[in-house]
Amino acid sequence: MIKELEQSLAIPPYSVSQGARDRILLSGLSRLTQLHYERCVPYRRIVDGYWGGRTDFQDLEAVPYLPVSIFKSQLLQSVPDSAVRVTLTSSGTTGQAVSRIRLDSATSAIQQRALANSLMHVLGKQRLPMLVIDTDAVFKDPKLMSARGAGVLGIMRYGRDHVFALTPDLDANYDAVAAFLDRLQGRPFFIFGFTFMVWVRFYELFAKRGLDLSNAVLIHSGGWKKLAERAVSNEEFKAAFREAFGLTRIHNFYGMVEQIGTILLEGPGGLLFPPNFADVIIRDPRTFEPAPIGQIGIVQLLSLLPHSYPGHSVLTEDLGVIESINEHPGEWAGKGIRILGRLPRSELRGCSDVIGVAA
Amino acid sequence: MITLWGAERSTVDIAEFSKLIESMTDAHAAPLAPELLDIVAHISNLILRTPVLRAVPQFVALGYWMRAAAIRRIVTDSRAAVVDGNVLAPRGLALHLPPTNVDTIFVYSWVLSLIAGNSNVVRLPATVSPPTEALLAIIIDAVSGRTSSKHLFCTYPYGGEVEHRISSLFDLRIIWGGDEKVASVNKVPIRPDGLSIGFPDRQSVALISVESYDRSTEEERDELAVRLFNDAYWFDQMGCSSPRLLAWIGPATSQETLSRDLYSRLQSVIERKGYEVAPSLAVAKLLVMNELLAEGAGQHGERYSSELQVVDTPEPAAALQRGTGGGFFLECTLDDLSDVRSLVSRKLQTITHFGFDLGQLRELAHSVAGIGAYRIVPIGQALDFHATWDGVPLLSHMTRQIVVKAT
Repeated sequence: MIKELEQSLAIPPYSVSQGARDRILLSGLSRLTQLHYERCVPYRRIVDGYWGGRTDFQDLEAVPYLPVSIFKSQLLQSVPDSAVRVTLTSSGTTGQAVSRIRLDSATSAIQQRALANSLMHVLGKQRLPMLVIDTDAVFKDPKLMSARGAGVLGIMRYGRDHVFALTPDLDANYDAVAAFLDRLQGRPFFIFGFTFMVWVRFYELFAKRGLDLSNAVLIHSGGWKKLAERAVSNEEFKAAFREAFGLTRIHNFYGMVEQIGTILLEGPGGLLFPPNFADVIIRDPRTFEPAPIGQIGIVQLLSLLPHSYPGHSVLTEDLGVIESINEHPGEWAGKGIRILGRLPRSELRGCSDVIGVAA
Repeated sequence: MITLWGAERSTVDIAEFSKLIESMTDAHAAPLAPELLDIVAHISNLILRTPVLRAVPQFVALGYWMRAAAIRRIVTDSRAAVVDGNVLAPRGLALHLPPTNVDTIFVYSWVLSLIAGNSNVVRLPATVSPPTEALLAIIIDAVSGRTSSKHLFCTYPYGGEVEHRISSLFDLRIIWGGDEKVASVNKVPIRPDGLSIGFPDRQSVALISVESYDRSTEEERDELAVRLFNDAYWFDQMGCSSPRLLAWIGPATSQETLSRDLYSRLQSVIERKGYEVAPSLAVAKLLVMNELLAEGAGQHGERYSSELQVVDTPEPAAALQRGTGGGFFLECTLDDLSDVRSLVSRKLQTITHFGFDLGQLRELAHSVAGIGAYRIVPIGQALDFHATWDGVPLLSHMTRQIVVKAT
C-alpha cells in the first residue's frame, strides 16, 4: 500500500481539509500513475500516446484520467494474471458490455479496509446488527449473482446478525423484520439497500406497519434515476422515512465498481463527500478543463485505492457540481458534491439506419 | 399506420394502400422525356429560391445538382451508354427507401428514377426536419396534376404486413441505410424480374500529398480546411462519404508539422461555423481514442477540441472501422499512392484527395479496382452526389433497353 494511503487511513475519516488533501493526493496519485505506467502496458500506451508520457505532476488536475467505460473493452491490470484474486463486474442490462475490474489480494484488502473506514464514520466502530433491504437469494442463487448481489455481500461484512427484509420474490418478509426488531430491544442497528429497492420494496411496503426505526442508520446507494422518474427526490425520501419510521440518520452514497471501496458519502446539506484518500474534479463538458465551484460538469474521480489496476483517476459519464469546499471542517472536510445524473445521450445523423428504431 | 404525404397528409389502410400501388404499376413515361426534365428543373429553381432551403448547404448542393444544365449532362451520358440501336425503356415501378437521417438522399434517388420514366413510391421517415418538409411540399406540388398518380410519398412501418403486401409489385427497389437495413429489406422479395439495389455501410478516406501541402499557400491551406470541414461535418462525419481517415502521402518526417498546421486551420473553421457536439459524444470520442491507444492500434492522440480529435494509427485499415463521428479523425502516413491499396476494402467508398494529378489518380483507381473504393474525388466533393454511386451507374440500372432489329 502506498504510504499516502496509509497516512489517509490513519486519521479520522472524512477529516482531511482540501489543501492538505490536494498535497497527499498529488503525491499518491503521481506514485500510482508511475506504478501503473510501469506495470500495465495498455495504460502506458495511453499515457505515452495522449498524456506526453508524464507521471509526475504539479497539480491534481494534470493527472491523466481514463474514460471509465474503457474497463468495458480493455482488461487493464497492473499485476500478473496469477496474482488476480477476483474480477469484479459492473451492473449492466443484458447484452451490454460490463466493466471488468481486476483485484489482487492486496488491493482487495485495501478496498475493504478503506470502505470500513468510511462507513465507520456514520456507523461507529462497533459492527452493528444489520437489516438488508433485499433477499438473500440475490447472492445465494448463482443464477441471480449479479453486481447487486456482490454489492450487498460487500457491505454485509460491515454488519452482523444479518436479516433480509425481502423474500426471494421481493415481497415483504414482515415476520423476519418484526423478529429482528424484537431481538434488538431498541439497540442501534444498520440498514442497507439499493436506493430504488429501499423505496419501492421497503418504504412502500412497510410505511404503514408502525415500525420504530429511530435507532437505525440507513445507508443506501445505486442512483436516483428510477426514483426521479417517480418524482422522489433525496429530500422527499428522507422526509418520508422520518415520518413513517422516525428514521433520521440516512446516508446516500455514490461509488462505482471501477473505484471499488471509494464512496462519496452523504453528509450535511445532502451533499456527497469524498473520503480522505479520494477527491472529485468537475470538468467543463466542452473543454474538459477543471470547472470552478458551482459550475456543472463531468465528474472525474480520484482515489488512492486502485493498486492492481489503473483506476486511480477516471472520467465518469456523470454530471455533477461542487457545492462547497471545507465548509464542515473536521467532520466532513473537503468538497461537498452533488451528482446530477448521466450525461444526456446524443444521436448523430448518418447513412446507416438502425432497424427497429428507424422511424 | 400508413401515411400518404400530399398537399395534406392522410392515412389509409393496407388494402387501400396496396390498391393504390397496384394502380401505379403501368403508369410510367418515356425515359428522358423533356416534360420530365422540366419538372426537375422547376423543382431546382424553387429550391434555390426558397430561403429556408437556401440556408442549408445540403439543399443548395441538391438544388445545383438538379438544375437544367446538370441534368442535361446526365441525360447525355445516359444516351451515350445505350447500346447502339437499342431503345431505352423505363424499368417500371420503383420503391425508394432512403435513410432516416440524411435529408436529401431521397430526392437524388427519386429524381433519377423520375427521368428514367419510372413511377415511384418513396418511403419517408415518420417525421422530417422543417426544411425537408418544405422541400417535400415543393416536390409534391411539382408532380401534382397529370403526374401525381405516378409518384407516391408515404410512410409505412418496416418489417411488417405492409412491406410484405406491396413489395412483390416493384420492378426496382433502392435501399439506402446500411448493411442491416439492406439485409432486412431484402428478406422480402420484389417481382421475380425486379432489381434490388442496396447501399450498405461504407467508410471513406482522404489522401493529402505531403509535398503538395508543403508547397501550398496560406490561402490554399485555409480553403482546403474549409473543404475538409464540409466533407466531414455536414453529416456529423456519419455519412458514408464523410472522411474518417486522413492519409498523408509522402515522407513522414515533414508530415507531423503539416498535419498540425491543417488541424489548427480545421479547428478555426469549426469555431467559425459554430459546430458543436454533445458532451456525451466528446466523452465517447475520448473513449475510442483511449481504446485505440491501449490496444496499440493508435500511437498518438490529440484532442484539439470536443469537435476535433485525431489519432494516428499504424493499423489504418482496422482502425477505420472504429469511428464515432462528430470530428474523430484517424491519421496515417503512407510513402506512396501505391500503398493506398492497403486501406481499401469492399467497405471503402470514397477517396477524396488533395495534391495529386489525374494520371496518378487514374493509376490509383486501377490499383484498387475490384477491391473497393468507388469514387475518387477532390477534398470538398465527398458529399456531392453523382449519378454513378457506389460504382453503380444508377440511370442505366433504373431503365431497360429494348433490342430492336428490322432484318
